[in-house]
Amino acid sequence: MNIFETFWEYRSYFGQGIQYTLLLAAIGVVCGFILGLLVSMLRMSRFWLPRFLGTVWVEFLRGTPMLVQLFIIHYGLVSFGIKLTAIESGAITLSINSSAYLAETFRAGIQGVDRGQAEAARSLGMSKGMTMRYIILPQAVKSVLPAIGNEFITIIKESSIVSFIGVTDLMYQAQAVTTITYESLKPLLIIAAIYFVMTFTLSKLLGLFERRLSTDDHR
Amino acid sequence: MITVKDLHKSFGKLNILKGVNIEIAKGEVVVVIGPSGSGKSTFLRCLNMLETPTSGEIAFEGDSITDKKHNINLTREKMGMVFQQFNLFPHKTVLQNIMLAPVKVKKMPQPEAEKIALDLLQTVGLADKKDAYPSQLSGGQKQRIAIARALAMQPHVMLFDEPTSALDPEMVGEVLEVMKKLAEGGMTMVIVTHEMGFAREVGDRIVFMDDGQIMEEGTPSQVFGNPKNSRTKDFLSKVL
Repeated sequence: MNIFETFWEYRSYFGQGIQYTLLLAAIGVVCGFILGLLVSMLRMSRFWLPRFLGTVWVEFLRGTPMLVQLFIIHYGLVSFGIKLTAIESGAITLSINSSAYLAETFRAGIQGVDRGQAEAARSLGMSKGMTMRYIILPQAVKSVLPAIGNEFITIIKESSIVSFIGVTDLMYQAQAVTTITYESLKPLLIIAAIYFVMTFTLSKLLGLFERRLSTDDHR
Repeated sequence: MITVKDLHKSFGKLNILKGVNIEIAKGEVVVVIGPSGSGKSTFLRCLNMLETPTSGEIAFEGDSITDKKHNINLTREKMGMVFQQFNLFPHKTVLQNIMLAPVKVKKMPQPEAEKIALDLLQTVGLADKKDAYPSQLSGGQKQRIAIARALAMQPHVMLFDEPTSALDPEMVGEVLEVMKKLAEGGMTMVIVTHEMGFAREVGDRIVFMDDGQIMEEGTPSQVFGNPKNSRTKDFLSKVL
């Protein structure tokens, strides 16, 4: 059996793997984005307590392996009576982990926006919230878009660790096919190609989006 | 209209304003001059609380805006400000720059805000630039748009923080022209500037600041023609 035959023979396995990988990555991206935005706000708060909590969140999640985080959430929380399905644990881990990285990215972007922008907005009577929403965030997100793109791609790839707790994602399915066929290389090459198609497509899409956003840059 | 009483501002140990007192009447054009670091910009920025005074009181149309309970956003709607660095919103078109605050802050209907914006663009002579982005404009054009943006909120007073200092010399005139028209229309204005010719021509009152205090004030002919204070004389001899 050549590699294409292997793929075709076990297409239902890979198909299911794609579904779970995409599902988890999408949840990780969306929840990580929103959570990251909130955490970045905590990190820039005027008050020390939210700032402290934000810092602990970011430092802990960046400073410990994601696999350890995944196991703590999936196996460790059981001792507190919190039983999560493998999918739930995987989605939560990916979301909080990416939120830490995205929070730092957002913070850099927000702090990189010229102070005069906020002053101009405030001088027109806009509240802090309006200023953030209409003036600061659009400019901040635009300037850190490439970094956000990197993080999205990382989430897709790192989602493979959920196979450790039994989520039937691409990585898991490759191992499943290996157990059936005794072929170790071919299933891995197949999922590597699939992962690459996903990340490459995403990076191209982000590139398009970036160009659309930069229409107002004629410097 | 604006009353400032014993205004102090310090940044850490550095005292920038050391007791400023002034009263600004409706329709008056007050021009603040003085050497760099004399506190003129800080004073102006305190008037709409972009800088929080260390002590002292500012009242605007009878309300104490330095009061902690006062909602400063409501006051800022009535005080337009123009900055040295323009601070146009680069991700929005000229029209969006002007319409944003009336629509979002005053909840003005879109068509009405657009009409006001277009009228203002006409006034500043840039009607053809309504769909341009700020990065496509020259410095002088940017500043005229910034003035239009502030005027769109229909403010009762306009604050100008060295509006021509970041401009190439050939663009200074077009901005001053717009400001002059505004003054002639009866707008109350407080202007910090280094343009002495403009100050003399347009100002109702000249305020000379140095070392965080108002050293001398009076009509342009008094201050420029017959300065009393030795520091005013010294400053004017350097800039005129």
